[in-house]
Amino acid sequence: MPQDNSSVSFVLSRVNADFISGGKAIPALRDISLSVPSGAFISVVGPSGAGKSTLLRIILDLMPHTSGTIVRSFTQPAMVFQNYAIFPWLTALDNVAFGLHMQGIPRKERERIARAKLQEVGLEHLERHYPAALSGGQRQRVGLARALTMSPDLLILDEPFSNLDTITAEALKADLLKIWRSYGMTIFMVNHLIPDAIELSDSILIMGAHPGHITKTLQIDLPRPRNPHGDQFFKKVDELTNIIREIS
Amino acid sequence: MTRSIEHRPTKMWHRTSLLHHRRIWLIMTSIALFALLLILFGYFNNVAWGTLVTAVLHTTYRLIIAYLIALVLGILIGLLVGSSSLIDALFPVFDILQNIPSFALIPFFIYFFGYTDQMIILFAVSSIVWPILFSILSAIKSAHSDLNDAAAIFGARGLKRIFFYLAPLSFPAILTGSIVGIAIGWEAVIGAEIIVNAAGFGSFIRNASTTGIDQASVAGMLVILLIVFVINRLIWTPLLLESSRRYAE
Repeated sequence: MPQDNSSVSFVLSRVNADFISGGKAIPALRDISLSVPSGAFISVVGPSGAGKSTLLRIILDLMPHTSGTIVRSFTQPAMVFQNYAIFPWLTALDNVAFGLHMQGIPRKERERIARAKLQEVGLEHLERHYPAALSGGQRQRVGLARALTMSPDLLILDEPFSNLDTITAEALKADLLKIWRSYGMTIFMVNHLIPDAIELSDSILIMGAHPGHITKTLQIDLPRPRNPHGDQFFKKVDELTNIIREIS
Repeated sequence: MTRSIEHRPTKMWHRTSLLHHRRIWLIMTSIALFALLLILFGYFNNVAWGTLVTAVLHTTYRLIIAYLIALVLGILIGLLVGSSSLIDALFPVFDILQNIPSFALIPFFIYFFGYTDQMIILFAVSSIVWPILFSILSAIKSAHSDLNDAAAIFGARGLKRIFFYLAPLSFPAILTGSIVGIAIGWEAVIGAEIIVNAAGFGSFIRNASTTGIDQASVAGMLVILLIVFVINRLIWTPLLLESSRRYAE
């Protein structure tokens, strides 16, 4: 559902970025221009080496870019990681409350909020567990709950499903759609699975490698909720598959 | 009806720890039995136990003070360097510094502090601090970059990054660094005591060996072994268990 253009989450204009490796600058991203409307669901697909993770880190200002302009209109970003990146020394509850703790919110209040978010992802019974005692799917839910406690207006996901089995990934995908509908935040997600990207996204950025660049942007204007077994859906899957085949 | 096989990640550790446990007790029991035999045969008749225990207590006291100073110093330097971008530049510098044989520095320590307690303690600090510092720096260097990003995105920046991210991240490293550091510390303290002949276990062995009473050295080693064992069981084992429970992958 594309929003009105007056409200954007962030804009990148002719952005370049380098990796510094052994004192040498290796180009990582070339000439990236994109505009993400508030409340949109955007997916990024592309081969490894296309700088997808670099793009995410630049959007979040975790690494510098070498040239170009970035306008960040979001106020509170949050991120979900491929390998969960939850803190092993904290319980599930403390992990979820971490962001609020850093904001200086008192223990009682932050635990109340964190408990509610854990309940939202269906893990309220595991709040005293350390990550080591949780399964991959449970850890990713803790990661998702940790992001939600920040009440983010931009949620960035870096291949959140690729370490999970299909059944767990399907359940998490359904939860993610539900969360997006009820919170209305902007979602920017790197994803490898073409049908998933089409089912979830308003538009899909296809990136090419060496150096990373945007090859094409594909609008998905299928009505929601989407039927992943309809003709229209398969047409889009074919279209995206062909584009990817051309560039690789 | 299908039954799932319970598999808890702590189980394997538990088992190895028990094995460990049993083996250590076996070794300790045989040493104790051997010591008992020696006592029965009157082997230790000439040992001045009072002097020996006082000497060992002196040495232990110096070691504990030196360890505590090294611990604070190692954590402070480790976290400050680890939180800055200097970590990659300073790592090789520290590596060269730690490779200087510590006993080569003893003339400097004697020059500045004389034949004093402080000299021995500070000399021991200069040996104990390295393993602690290095394990902290390696832990921070080898942390997954996603974990770094997560800490930054969720607001752990500046001092908060040190207290709520780098410090807990380094806890297992501080533990292993401490265990190695204390082992080196015994050597440093006893060695320094032998060199400067300060009251302590080092000078006790030195005097014992010059007067030819080998029994005293054996008795001394048994007492030190006992202290090391007690410290391990009471302090390090519970901490290692807790660390493995929390930090297991």
